[in-house]
Amino acid sequence: MKTLYLIWQIAKRECKILYVNRIYFFSMVFFPLLTMVFFTSLMDEGLPEDMPVGVVDLDNTTTSRSLIRRLDAFQSSKVVAHYPSVAEARRAIQENEIYAFLYIPKGTTDNLLSSRQPKISYYYNMASVLSGSLLMRDLKTISTLGSAGVGQATMRAKGYTQEQTTAFLQPIRINLHQVGNPWTNYNSYLSTTIVPGVMMLFMFMISAYSLGMELKFGRGKEWLKMADNRIVVAILGKFLPQAVVFLSLIFFYEFYIYGIMHFPHQGDIWDIILLSLLEVFGSIGFGIFAFGLMPSLRMSMSICSLWAVLSFSLAGFTYPVMGMDAPIQALTWLFPLRHYYMLYQITVFNGFPLIDAWFHFVALVGFVLLPWFVVMKIKNAMLHYVYIP
Amino acid sequence: MSIFHKISNWFEDAAYIWRQEIKQVFRDEGVLIFCIIVPLAYPLLYSWIYNNEVVHEVPVVVVDQSHSQLSRQFVRMCDASPDVKVISYAEDLDDAQSLVSRQIVKGVYLIPSDFSTKVNRGEQAVINVYCDMSLMLAYKAIYMTSMQVSQTMGAEIQKKVSGNYTDREDAITTRPLDFEDVPIFNQSGGYGNFIIPGVIMLIIQQTLVLGIGLAAGTARERNRYSDLVPINRCYSGVYRIICGKALCYLMVYAVMSAWLTLVVPRLFSFIALVHWQDLLALMVPYLLACTFFGMTLSCLVHYRENVMLLIVFLSLPLLFLSGVSWPLSNISGTWQSISWLFPSTFGVRAFVRMNTMGGVLSDVVNEVRCLWVLAAAYFGFACIVYGFEKRRTYLHAHERLEMLRKKREIRLQLKQKVEHP
Repeated sequence: MKTLYLIWQIAKRECKILYVNRIYFFSMVFFPLLTMVFFTSLMDEGLPEDMPVGVVDLDNTTTSRSLIRRLDAFQSSKVVAHYPSVAEARRAIQENEIYAFLYIPKGTTDNLLSSRQPKISYYYNMASVLSGSLLMRDLKTISTLGSAGVGQATMRAKGYTQEQTTAFLQPIRINLHQVGNPWTNYNSYLSTTIVPGVMMLFMFMISAYSLGMELKFGRGKEWLKMADNRIVVAILGKFLPQAVVFLSLIFFYEFYIYGIMHFPHQGDIWDIILLSLLEVFGSIGFGIFAFGLMPSLRMSMSICSLWAVLSFSLAGFTYPVMGMDAPIQALTWLFPLRHYYMLYQITVFNGFPLIDAWFHFVALVGFVLLPWFVVMKIKNAMLHYVYIP
Repeated sequence: MSIFHKISNWFEDAAYIWRQEIKQVFRDEGVLIFCIIVPLAYPLLYSWIYNNEVVHEVPVVVVDQSHSQLSRQFVRMCDASPDVKVISYAEDLDDAQSLVSRQIVKGVYLIPSDFSTKVNRGEQAVINVYCDMSLMLAYKAIYMTSMQVSQTMGAEIQKKVSGNYTDREDAITTRPLDFEDVPIFNQSGGYGNFIIPGVIMLIIQQTLVLGIGLAAGTARERNRYSDLVPINRCYSGVYRIICGKALCYLMVYAVMSAWLTLVVPRLFSFIALVHWQDLLALMVPYLLACTFFGMTLSCLVHYRENVMLLIVFLSLPLLFLSGVSWPLSNISGTWQSISWLFPSTFGVRAFVRMNTMGGVLSDVVNEVRCLWVLAAAYFGFACIVYGFEKRRTYLHAHERLEMLRKKREIRLQLKQKVEHP
């Protein structure tokens, strides 16, 4: 009972600290909310639509114009300009006016009608992988359709049925099932990991920061005294208000993306709640651990920020971990965001049972328990260290 | 005082501040980490992460219910492709799903039992492809490979049934309109070539701003009144303070940005098409804009660590706003106009276009102009905030002087009282 009372007292003290120093409000509430709004609104379309595409049409016939019209009608592409030559179209890409262009050489229609197999080309800018690969898909479809159009006309003229024509033009059809995300929605793909990643960044840094500030202002002894010199009680009380703030923010975000934006998810609400709990306590655990390793405000915060920024790459949700070198693959285990992403995609996104993600679950629990190794060091630091600016 | 004397005085003061700032940079652990170690080590780590560029051999499982020569040909051709590796066969879809859920494979090819029959009957056969959508690159590899293999096999089937005499006829039947796709500027579609240039420019801005902010925070904490500008004859003018400090950071970052933009891409054989003259014309305004941006921000923070909380989280949003990962044409006007406040937006765009896309200075002239505008604007802001800080220092100095004077007067009065009671 007394322990609970002590924790409550320290939590009240912590609330006062959070209230007085405005930076806490900014980095615990304002910036996280800003990040949530930023990513979800930036990628609101889901799949980039109407990206600017150019055309170099040297043929200028009804056939070539119909190809261009069809390209324009695609979801991702929008034909914004015609260029007189390939060189000028390339320059337009370099000036960022268009991302790709279709080149139809002179005599394409003539050669097509006289069965001389003309060749059209499309050039797309792969310096940006996302827009490049989406446009590549559109342009490839257009060229295939152009090819099929000719065959279709010939076969129809010869009197084949519709079934015969399709079976001849495309003997094997691929029936694609995009499990869990049939719209290829990039918003639900990226925002579900990037935003928790940014939240983790704040949780890492705020945990180290709030411990370091005790040291910086010499309040460490007073803080420990309130907890009867029991460091575990002191830490529990200190991080109770922070965990509550972060948890409520994250629950709000989960509600926002799954309840209002309707991001696809196969897992049920308990999977989401478990994931959020592990995210918050794992991150705070990591922050405390970083401070315990190096009880200096500046060093621990540097480590936390560097770790958090690296985790976006090492989580492997954009460039997969299986494509990295073996030492880097091993390194990814040290990043909470990696385990968060794996747990998310296995249990929440795909709805598979938790046992299939047991390793990542255990790892996240491990991050929650990390402070255990350093509590005595933190106590020592609070009692004996002197802050050096 | 002659004008010549004034100018030489000004330079002496600026050089003094420059020296003081350098001393501080190398004495302060935090600044050292962000200004020297991070720019040196981070790009190496990032390059190592993305060094393999593309994902090959994405594992898939095959559910072959057709058990025919044709279905086996499909599986063989998929397995032989660079992007996909068939690592297992499953009895049915549930069996295959359990492999997906255990993260052993990323996709399933299901060949239905009537596959071969349908092809031989001249009907359209179907192959079902199931992709785990939690990794877009893996999805792309699995889907594109199956498309390519099905088209190649389809062409073979077309040739067989069309009864042509020559190879040329075959080619024209299967592809009346030939086409060629040409990925330009990053032919392999590599992930490293795509992301590293943006990351490099962002590292320059973020570490520079962090370094300046940390150094300013330390200066404030060392000061008795937590002022940014110390009481010193040399710190008497705003311009010389700003120029002196900026010179220090420009000096360090001239070396760092050469390392980042010239050495790192070549170390890992990333695309590096930029000419040094063009690079210089870009980096000068970029570094100036970043430095003055950092100085403006540094006046806003009171505790040195706060600057980390302000700056670090911006990295990822800024990368997105630069238009590298999400296409620029699809970023809303609100976010675009906010992005114009940050030098990195223009810096990343210009660098990617010159370094990766082989553009020349005239292709990015707009971005360079914007960077000069930003540099000038942030120089103005820095002057205003430093002017403010300087006034505060004078106020504090004045107060202190008054207090000392008063103390002396009181002491004198007391003395007089003691001597002449």
